[in-house]
Amino acid sequence: MFKTANGEEIFVIDSHIALWDASPENQLNIHGEQFINCFYDYHKNLSPAQYLWPKEKFLKYDAETLIHDVFTKGYADMAIFQPVFLTDFYKKPFGDIEKNAELVKMYPGRLIGNGSFDPRDGEQGLEYLEFMAKTYGIKGVKLYTAEWRGSSRGYKLTDPWAERYLAKCEELGIVNIHAHKGPTLTPLDRDAFDVADIDGAASNFPGLNFIVEHCGLPRLEDFCWIATQEKNVYAGLSVAMPFIHTRPRYFAQIISELLYWVGEDRMLFGSDYALWEPGWLIEKFMAFELPEDLKQETGTDLTLAVKRKILGENAARLYGIDIAAQKSLLSQDKLAVSR
Amino acid sequence: MQQREEVFKKLALVNDPELDRSLTELEFINEVTIQDSSVTVSFRLPTYWCSTNFAFIMAEDIRDRVSELPWVSNVVVRLEDHCAAAEINEGVSSRKSFFETFPNMAKGELQELRESFRIKAYFSRQEKLIQYLIRSGLEHAAILNLTIQGLSELPFFEAEGTVLAERYLAIREEFGQGNQPEQTAFIRPDGSELDPESFPDYLASARLIRLSMEFNGHHCQGLFQTRYGTEPLSEMEACKNESSAFV
Repeated sequence: MFKTANGEEIFVIDSHIALWDASPENQLNIHGEQFINCFYDYHKNLSPAQYLWPKEKFLKYDAETLIHDVFTKGYADMAIFQPVFLTDFYKKPFGDIEKNAELVKMYPGRLIGNGSFDPRDGEQGLEYLEFMAKTYGIKGVKLYTAEWRGSSRGYKLTDPWAERYLAKCEELGIVNIHAHKGPTLTPLDRDAFDVADIDGAASNFPGLNFIVEHCGLPRLEDFCWIATQEKNVYAGLSVAMPFIHTRPRYFAQIISELLYWVGEDRMLFGSDYALWEPGWLIEKFMAFELPEDLKQETGTDLTLAVKRKILGENAARLYGIDIAAQKSLLSQDKLAVSR
Repeated sequence: MQQREEVFKKLALVNDPELDRSLTELEFINEVTIQDSSVTVSFRLPTYWCSTNFAFIMAEDIRDRVSELPWVSNVVVRLEDHCAAAEINEGVSSRKSFFETFPNMAKGELQELRESFRIKAYFSRQEKLIQYLIRSGLEHAAILNLTIQGLSELPFFEAEGTVLAERYLAIREEFGQGNQPEQTAFIRPDGSELDPESFPDYLASARLIRLSMEFNGHHCQGLFQTRYGTEPLSEMEACKNESSAFV
């Protein structure tokens, strides 16, 4: 819960967190090492100095640290795990849904543990999707289309198998598809960050919500054009958020473009924890105002009502959370009491 | 020494296709060694995962630009610290095409990809110049009526405006639009005319492309500095200052 100077309460859902294990013991090869090094460069490049983690902590942190950073220091009322497996890089999954599920159980109502699928897993993966839905009641999946798998360097959401998985999601009530676009290599001669497959998938599956993490960056323009066409496409603000500190002007421009093209009802806050801690992101975001010239140019504004939507209301709608009911449910739990 | 400078001037002509900025300006060149007529250029990128196709384009352009020097008979390109470095270095140095280098992952060559990013660069350079003109007080109608000559005669061009105009004219030229004095200064990349009614929408789309490209540039540079945090090579500094004249 974030409280404004006037005492207004803002319900916060961090829609993108992870509990990862990238320790040397868990790295399978050089790619596992380079993957987390790249994450650490992101962390170092964009975090304020007082929030920099030592490398060792960044490689592997424990559940208590996560709970403390996200909920105690971090204002979040709820948070959503977005696991990526990266089984070609790590021995045990980089993001492990079973470990996540333990935490979901320990903190009722606080955490949502999403699943993940990879259409290259064929029939077996479909069964696993069903298992996840029945065992953990997942309402969403995180997809990493750039994941390496043997000689394959990624997949598209419009591949025939991906469509079968999406159809299965719809059948199982897994309605929130969080798609991360990384440098996919299939086919390698195309733009590696091409978001066009989101367009195809979103129009083929109007019953599903497609949350494009990192709002399609670095292809913001392609993403915005798709989002204007497809009303079930959402902008996940993870990775865009920390620019509020290092490049506030760019952050303002991106936010005003998203407000202009995508709209205030389809933008979701996410810290991408542990890449960045939600606490400072939320503080800066609440204090942030769009510069006058951008307001004029795009006719948009980042009002308190808009901030409420981005920080919690939009995610609550997607995940069927009644904020008032949830607030009273959480008001007496161990985290609320320990704050 | 003169040879090194010649090599760096050629390298200043190689762009990162996604960012529309030269490799010398971005400080991506790591080392240049010259032995008689053989030149080895090593370069590095902001992350281990930077897109392989763009990395290949840069490696290929390094090879081709440096090969233009009459005294050069052999160019070895070495991409470092990258997930596909081995394949790219081997492919480019032995003059294999992209498809030949990645036969199982590519369906074709990179020409279409190159073109789509040159179009983005066109919009981006044009929008920056138009915004500069708007800030200088020109109305939309006046901007659309400008000819190339009219553009060059505008009284308020300071250093910033001059560089923006040079960069825009260079990419017009590259698109085969010619830069004759009587031609309309602002047209679409495909050569078609702009009209006042749809101009605000056109500008909004172009602004988004420019913003995305610029943002990407800052992000990549920030990651590059975090990853390597080194001082640029001295010749690169010289090329940085000159690079706007080359693009």
